[in-house]
Amino acid sequence: MGHVCRPGSGPAILGRRRALSAPAAAGPLVRLLSDRLADAASELWTDEDTVEIQVPRDKIVDSLRTLRDDADFGFFFLADAAAVDYGVGNWFEVVYHLYSDRHPTWLRVRVKVDRENPVTPTITSLWEGAMFHEREMYDMMGIVFEGNRDLRRIYMSPDYRSFPQRKDFLLPDDAADSAAAGNKPLERPETWDLSKLQDAAAHRDEPEGQV
Amino acid sequence: MTTTKSRPAPEPPADPEEPRIPDPIALDALATAAPRQEYFGFDIVPPPDRPPQTEREVEVYTLGDGEMLVNMGPQHPSTHGVMRLVVKVRGEVVIDIDPVLGYLHRGIEKLCEEATYTTVLTYVDPMDYMSAMHNEHAPAIAFEKLYGITAPRRAEYIRALVVELNRVFSHGLMMGFLALDIGGLTPILYGFINRDEVVEMLAAISGQRMLFNFFRVGGVNFDTNDEFMNRLGRWRANVLDNVEMNEKILTENEIFRARTRGMGTLTAKQAIDLGVSGPNLRASGVPFDVRKAHPYCIYNELEFDVITHPEGDTYARYMQRIAELKQSIHLIDQIVDKMPHGPVQAQVPGIIRPRPGRAYAAIESPRGLYSVYAISDGGPNPYRFRMRDPSFISLQVMPKLMPGHLIADTMAIMASLDPIMGGVDK
Amino acid sequence: MAITTPPKADEPIVIPDAAGDDPLLGEFGMENHPQGGFHGLLEVIPTRADYILDLIRANSLWPLLSGLSCCAIEMMSTATSVNDIDRFGMFPFRASPRQADVLIVAGTLTTKMAGPLVRLWAQMPEPKWCVAMGTCTTSGGRFKRSYSVVQGVDRVMPVDVYVPGCPPRPEGLIYGLMKLQELVKQRRGQWGTYADRGPDLRSWEGDVR
Repeated sequence: MGHVCRPGSGPAILGRRRALSAPAAAGPLVRLLSDRLADAASELWTDEDTVEIQVPRDKIVDSLRTLRDDADFGFFFLADAAAVDYGVGNWFEVVYHLYSDRHPTWLRVRVKVDRENPVTPTITSLWEGAMFHEREMYDMMGIVFEGNRDLRRIYMSPDYRSFPQRKDFLLPDDAADSAAAGNKPLERPETWDLSKLQDAAAHRDEPEGQV
Repeated sequence: MTTTKSRPAPEPPADPEEPRIPDPIALDALATAAPRQEYFGFDIVPPPDRPPQTEREVEVYTLGDGEMLVNMGPQHPSTHGVMRLVVKVRGEVVIDIDPVLGYLHRGIEKLCEEATYTTVLTYVDPMDYMSAMHNEHAPAIAFEKLYGITAPRRAEYIRALVVELNRVFSHGLMMGFLALDIGGLTPILYGFINRDEVVEMLAAISGQRMLFNFFRVGGVNFDTNDEFMNRLGRWRANVLDNVEMNEKILTENEIFRARTRGMGTLTAKQAIDLGVSGPNLRASGVPFDVRKAHPYCIYNELEFDVITHPEGDTYARYMQRIAELKQSIHLIDQIVDKMPHGPVQAQVPGIIRPRPGRAYAAIESPRGLYSVYAISDGGPNPYRFRMRDPSFISLQVMPKLMPGHLIADTMAIMASLDPIMGGVDK
Repeated sequence: MAITTPPKADEPIVIPDAAGDDPLLGEFGMENHPQGGFHGLLEVIPTRADYILDLIRANSLWPLLSGLSCCAIEMMSTATSVNDIDRFGMFPFRASPRQADVLIVAGTLTTKMAGPLVRLWAQMPEPKWCVAMGTCTTSGGRFKRSYSVVQGVDRVMPVDVYVPGCPPRPEGLIYGLMKLQELVKQRRGQWGTYADRGPDLRSWEGDVR
């Protein structure tokens, strides 16, 4: 007999049928967030092991500084900084995951970034380890971090002119059509034929027919 | 291309002191007459120089007095894979360093957005290819959180077992690579003997030596079998002695100690600031282990301590990994003792469609905190699949640690950080 | 009848005229060698030297230490104790392309790395051979639709042996290397074919599939 699990059939509040690793201990953190960061944090959501808040772009550096330096919060470790693209008409999101030894849950901080003008302040002044994260987010999504001392491409060539992880960058159905099929290398800009890249946003400003 | 036309030869300058104006047609012929179709060796017309564009680039690429840029290119004798280090040196002493990554960027995150959840677990194997089980463990946990299920207990125990086995041979190989980069050719052979034994064991249970494809959403693919248990028993009988023998070559070796002690010291504050995690962080004195901090799988049922070393130099990172290797062997003992009976895979459909939501799962890989942030939109493919690789973040440590040392020490320091380029470049 | 054994008293002396008659050639797999036959006693010694050279080359192929990705670990595993390619003469993995014979492309080739890899290939002096190890180098492998993976290393350089697998087992790589040794002895590899007509390095622009 197999172990049959039906999705989402746990208690309605937490939505999981798992041994709780943080039963109700997220409470103090939720209370602290509502006290100290009430003006910055909004849309608080909690899971059994993650507490999530949304912070606007102009308050993110101060909020993260409070979260890091305040003794009750104590989120000293930046675990992850990720970028999400919600589609062409929507927005980008920069998501930070923080760890504290004073609270048993992860803290997820989501920052909404405008898709037409994707600029957001850098947090390398708080954690220098965010440098590579931000370079990767710039390379893959095109989000510009103002104040970052080294915002250049990290994975793709410095002359690459597209942002691969955006939702309007489509992977080709047939690999033979892709720019990576070996026809034209991306390292030599004078040989590029970018007409096959379907990245509308990156080439939006170019004159018609010319790449 | 250029047809030979009759044209007057360029006249010599009337005044020998006058600068000779180069003939534009001759220059053009030089650029286009080279048979670039037939010989791709070195560019006859070099690519245009790109001026440094960011502050940090200007810092690294401006040369002072007596300094020069040495390119430790993507292919180099150190075995970490394709990474390029542009090193600014004055003589033999490193002044600054700029790692250039991306030579192994395969676009795995983008590919995973077009794959079903089970296929994603096969795509992520070649990221941190030395610890492929860990690569699969994190997404498996994240997808189970999204889908709202737990794996059966026997599956969790088997997961922990293979994950710790993976950690054992990964740390053993780090020891070998560290010695190889410093110049000793023997320990790498011992490391690979150990790896071969373990990897044949894992091939017996999962069918593959390296990119295992063993985890599924809801459990693991196969149960343990006779061959696996035989090999496990035989390996376990000898492994502690073998490890002792292997690490004694290095730990008590004068040359090794002279080259690694006091080298590349990373303070705790620096390490946390730079986002370093795993053995590198614990070797600097910070007791942060994800298995204890946010227990996942069955780690809260196993007894182990968080090992730390206070010094933070290369030797401490090496000792830390040896100690964790032995700790993993003790964990394997406990797991094998406590393993329950039961099914090894929850019954989930082949293509799962979790409810829209977000999940974050972090595990402790041999290189540090390895985490997955997955967003589901209700469809068969993940909407966003983000992996945070620890080697990627550990590489930021290099411009802080390497200046002041000699070029030969750059490899020792890098080997002690144990990066794997597959994970760095995704 | 081999040339090295003296003829018996009452046996006629037969000088083999075609490559197929000669047992010595057959022993080394040299019947198809372009210079394996001989048409006169005076040609014997120089032509034997040619395929003894090929024999020497085959048993002493020095690979370039250029592992890109996961297959590199299996290549190192092939080179070390349990599966040993030192017995084939391939232990010295040279760090410099100027000293290497074989380029075992082990791991995924990305567009950013393709330039340096072709540069390495061009720097290797002839005779040289190329082994495409793993499915990523054979055809792009599991990264078929990726935007930055070159779909097979034969798009940028001539390949002699393809070893499939993800990653291939060390025994598989050893089989591929033994096949390469056969190619070397029979001068059937890429180098053998273009040694007579000049290098045929495939350029970026020229190779469109």
